[in-house]
Amino acid sequence: MSRRLRVTVDTGGTFTDVVAIDEISGEQWTTKTPSTPSDPSVAFLEGVRKVSVLAGCSPVDVTLVVHGTTIATNAVLEGKFQRLGLLVTRGFRHVLEIARQSVPDGYGNSYFWVKPPRIVPLHRVFEIGGRMSYAGAELSPLVEDDVVRAARELRDLGVDCVAVCLLHSYANATHERLVGEVLRREMPGAFISLSCDVLAEYREYERAVTTALDAMVKPHTESYLGFAESGLRDQVGKVPFLIMQSNGGVASAQEVSLRPITTLLSGPAGGVLGAVFVARQAGIRAVLTLDVGGTSTDVCLVQDLQPQLTSQSKIAHYPVKVPMLDIVTIGTGGGSIAWIGPQNALKVGPQSAGARPGPICYGFGGEAPTVTDANLVLGRIPPHLLGGEVPLNESASRDAYERLGIRLGLSIEEAAAGVLEIAAANQVNGIRQVTVQRGLDPADYCLLAFGGAGGLLGCEVADFLGIQTVLSPTNPGNLSAFGLQVSDVRRDYVRTLVKTELDGAAHELEAAWRTLEEKARTDLRKEGVAEARIRLLRSADARYVGEGYEVPVPIPEGLEGEAAVKRAFTDLHDVHERTFGYSYRGKQIVEIVNLRVQAIGETFRPTVDEHRAATTAARPAARRVFFRKLGWSESPIHQRLDLSVDARVVGPAVIEEYGSTIVVYPDWQAEVDPHWNLKMVRC
Amino acid sequence: MATTTTKIGPVELEVILGTIRSAEIEIEAATERTARSPMIRDQHDYRVALFDGRCRKLTGRSYSALVEPVFEHFGREEINPGDVFFWNDPYNSAGSIGHVPDLCTTIPIFSGKHLIGFSQVFGHHDDVGGMVPGSLPVHATDQFQEGLVIPPIKLYDRGRLNSAVFKILTRNSRLPEYLEGDIDAEIGAARLGSRRIEALAEHYGVETLEAAYDAIVENCTRTIREELLPRIKDGVYQWEDYVECDGVDAPRLHALRLTMTKTPERIVLDFNGTDPQAKGPINWAINYCDGRFVRKWMGPILRNLAATPERAAEIDMNEGVCDVLEVVLPPPGTLVSPVFPAPTGLRFFLLLRALGVFAGCLAKATAGRMPADQESIRIWGIHGQDRSGKFFLFREVLGGGSGGRYYGDGSDVVHIVPNSRNLPAEFSEQRYPILIEHLGLTPDSGGAGQFRGGLGYDKRVRALDTVGLLSNGDRSLVNTYGLNGGQPGATYGISILRGDGEVVEVPGLADAVPVGEGDLIRIRTTGGGGWGDPLDRDPEAVLYDVGCGLVSVQAALQQYGVVVSGQPPVLDFTATERRRQEMRSSASVTMFARGAFVAEERAQGRVSWPPGWDEDMVDGVE
Repeated sequence: MSRRLRVTVDTGGTFTDVVAIDEISGEQWTTKTPSTPSDPSVAFLEGVRKVSVLAGCSPVDVTLVVHGTTIATNAVLEGKFQRLGLLVTRGFRHVLEIARQSVPDGYGNSYFWVKPPRIVPLHRVFEIGGRMSYAGAELSPLVEDDVVRAARELRDLGVDCVAVCLLHSYANATHERLVGEVLRREMPGAFISLSCDVLAEYREYERAVTTALDAMVKPHTESYLGFAESGLRDQVGKVPFLIMQSNGGVASAQEVSLRPITTLLSGPAGGVLGAVFVARQAGIRAVLTLDVGGTSTDVCLVQDLQPQLTSQSKIAHYPVKVPMLDIVTIGTGGGSIAWIGPQNALKVGPQSAGARPGPICYGFGGEAPTVTDANLVLGRIPPHLLGGEVPLNESASRDAYERLGIRLGLSIEEAAAGVLEIAAANQVNGIRQVTVQRGLDPADYCLLAFGGAGGLLGCEVADFLGIQTVLSPTNPGNLSAFGLQVSDVRRDYVRTLVKTELDGAAHELEAAWRTLEEKARTDLRKEGVAEARIRLLRSADARYVGEGYEVPVPIPEGLEGEAAVKRAFTDLHDVHERTFGYSYRGKQIVEIVNLRVQAIGETFRPTVDEHRAATTAARPAARRVFFRKLGWSESPIHQRLDLSVDARVVGPAVIEEYGSTIVVYPDWQAEVDPHWNLKMVRC
Repeated sequence: MATTTTKIGPVELEVILGTIRSAEIEIEAATERTARSPMIRDQHDYRVALFDGRCRKLTGRSYSALVEPVFEHFGREEINPGDVFFWNDPYNSAGSIGHVPDLCTTIPIFSGKHLIGFSQVFGHHDDVGGMVPGSLPVHATDQFQEGLVIPPIKLYDRGRLNSAVFKILTRNSRLPEYLEGDIDAEIGAARLGSRRIEALAEHYGVETLEAAYDAIVENCTRTIREELLPRIKDGVYQWEDYVECDGVDAPRLHALRLTMTKTPERIVLDFNGTDPQAKGPINWAINYCDGRFVRKWMGPILRNLAATPERAAEIDMNEGVCDVLEVVLPPPGTLVSPVFPAPTGLRFFLLLRALGVFAGCLAKATAGRMPADQESIRIWGIHGQDRSGKFFLFREVLGGGSGGRYYGDGSDVVHIVPNSRNLPAEFSEQRYPILIEHLGLTPDSGGAGQFRGGLGYDKRVRALDTVGLLSNGDRSLVNTYGLNGGQPGATYGISILRGDGEVVEVPGLADAVPVGEGDLIRIRTTGGGGWGDPLDRDPEAVLYDVGCGLVSVQAALQQYGVVVSGQPPVLDFTATERRRQEMRSSASVTMFARGAFVAEERAQGRVSWPPGWDEDMVDGVE
């Protein structure tokens, strides 16, 4: 039988998740394979192979591959900065050393806080003569000799990744482009990133770091993607190979290699897209995603089915100012370690046992009790994972919790249940901080719990937050890979241009917007997106004159010219009101700071075949499960595939499926909706 | 009040503690999101805290104020749900509000009729009147010149706003449009915090919650006693430090003097011997409420004794510190016990000196296992007319290098206010008639040492128009001290290079020095003191600093005994060995190095140690 398989592969810390959908029949297959952190392409290619076998077809039936990768993220987290250099404007050599003079957190920390190593150490930072004004006027010409000298010294230092960030280059990029030419001449083969290409936005420190990150991950991304792509070609032939970016859109592997900064936080993006898809199906418009993985939990607020973008992200302690889905990572996941801190306090995370050695029960040599071990001890998860592929050592987990309990004066069960309660509370605090910052109340959202461990704690987290509904999608452990199936091509463009509403600069602003749009159109056509499928969304970052921060004001699609400019100025008041709770309508002058365009190339949407019948109405098994409220009780254990639409499960109960387990807490009940999602509400 | 005897389980304690800590962060986030003035939003100049019903501070990130003024000015029966208490009175706030721009809001938290806590936010507001815009006049001679003073009152009484307060307040401010919104934001944020505590009471019951309060406070005390105090040798130690100028009298050293007595369970900090109150606004009124405010302000310094800096960052200092730290304050009439209406606007110099003298005493008592000195706040700014002809006031808080430490170099240009930010050059140039020609670190500004001090700023700003220059900075004469053989850090300096080549040195305290179009303003901030003998510094580290231009070839030779030459610089090992040997035999290592200015002042008899102070321990070897 002939198939056209769209395969998506999401590399996670522990497992690489794979989804395949047949474009013709809408049939869907999912699988997992252990991640291979030393060379992620091994698991990537194995995943493609495994899923095509599962679909009963040959690899040549694969028509397209979309990939969520952590290669750039890991390069940064592992601190692979040795080959990186930076060129800056004369007088600003210490821009990274000074940063924003900010000492994190508490009072008095300035006494003992040790400044972390900078992304480019000072001996690899060079000054270049020449100066632009904030308005883009040349105050003094570029000193090309400085560039030549710097290039030669960098070469002697073994540097082959160079970031260039000159003052006010967002207003006039001529000097930076000249520097780029000289560098390419003097350092053939080097990886070069110009700040005007990476982020044409004001604030020199943040732009410099973002540009440096881009340059630094280039060799890693290029070689990994090149390797994956050639392996893929050997396996399935030449097919489109797309990479998920942090903004929630995909781009071709070649394109991403030129500007890899856009993939820096691509990992959790797929899950959010999958969640939006599920929420739309389920008729829910406001969703709080809870993507619980092995080491951490990713949270994203989705209003009106639109995930928000932010340009305030950070990776490690580095600011990343390119637009990304507004996802916040909390350091608690299934592999989080329970430990006893000073003053005999019971703590959970942020250290994680990760994939290796992993939880004790995995038997890979883990010795520290984890959240997963607690779930096993309490009977919440079965004594094996992935439908029996991974057997678990329950008695080793129990021994560890017994030891922990003795030190705290708690029984094994109290210790394990306590660890889960603290893990949930950690997630709750993280969520509250995220929502308070944005002026929102989590109780107004539906909690969409997924990832391997999302269904285990969903009810407990919802209880803390006063959330009414918890939704668990089908294949929750694979939602991130599924989300890659429903992604569009997306690219973001920005340019700083500061104009107040009194400047009468509508023409200049419109022209700048148009320049961005032309570039967007050209880029997307190059990506193979048909003209008719290109959507261009304008927005402006605006503020009241005098403020030091700006907020994004979206412009309705289709609005152009003076009307668009006017809209940015007038809508700032509404956005400000929504974001901060007040506005100065009629009282203060508005100014536009940045112009943005997001280009979307809409891609094919699969129709997912939902026609499936529950296998026989099997009687649920039963197992003793522990809850703090009830103690041990005999609880029904359902197989998710046995539950038909409208089936209802009253807690306490456990629902098992391949790759994930859902716990229906006491006082909660679950119902299967027409799209096979489990909808849990309080009884 | 009797301690409750309810036993708290480790799970409940961790969840309650986590929630309270998170609530503190949430209050900060809410303040920042909804407040309006740049001082609060951009410079992060605000504090928050949660307290229990007995005024005990439960949180530790932010130092905040005190709740005692509520009980001093109102009876328990006058404290009701829906109240918002409000004040900025340095002399009627139990020592917890230092100067009048700090407007403090405090909300009682109830579970039914039971008073279970307080939530508090105060921010540094732009302007509450007084002699100059910004309400921090450097030449003020009494509190009335500094702005409107509000003793503890109720802004809301059982949910009802006393709108007269806002009317009076905004009528007295030059920037009234921000003021009401800022205070609304602070109240909203404090209320958010109180909802978190209410939810805890509902979930766990008041008894369990109060048992958790006890455990949170007692754990802080116990952590200090078990983990930090054993590192301090019992005994009596003295140390003093200075503010150089009070803005009114001619510059002279105003001494803050501390005698620290350490016993196994406790530390007593005695400020007797401190100089008389100043005429100008450098006074700090903390002689109230058994010094509870200053005990909590100084407590965090003890964290430097933790085994690692990572551990130090984890230790929360809450009310529990008061069971370990006692304070003895001098009779009225000194810098720390000024008599109303002595001005207090620039009390932040003494806030910083208090940390420095405590750290100095601890250094003596730990064989120097403390950081060297830092000076991390000063304000510089310009005012004039912007491009549209409107008056503008631009103020920037600039940090300085932190002191070297036994585990590493000091950090460059740190600011003691957590998470505050400087202004990007690309922002400042858009907004003000200036061109920032240089924004760097000052070479050799960090005190030499085995671990050198962090560097201060070297910021050079070209004025593109006629403006006025302001500076609120100390440590322009007295260096930050070096420790355990480390050298002092460089002083603060601000100057103007006129178009005709003339260089004008500007005093640390100035309100409006004229700057002409084309003049170049240069600001160099303090470096941190060095730690340990510079001759023990790894020569390779010195070479690296020379290569990066952070240390000059000359300083390498003279202070570190490291012989470096050429470009790129190369280290001469043999010559370095020889030079270091010579230097070792001729120099004696001292615990503190305060620099030339203090030495000269002492030589001239303009400062002297009080009788009975241990002279050996002052500047020499133990």
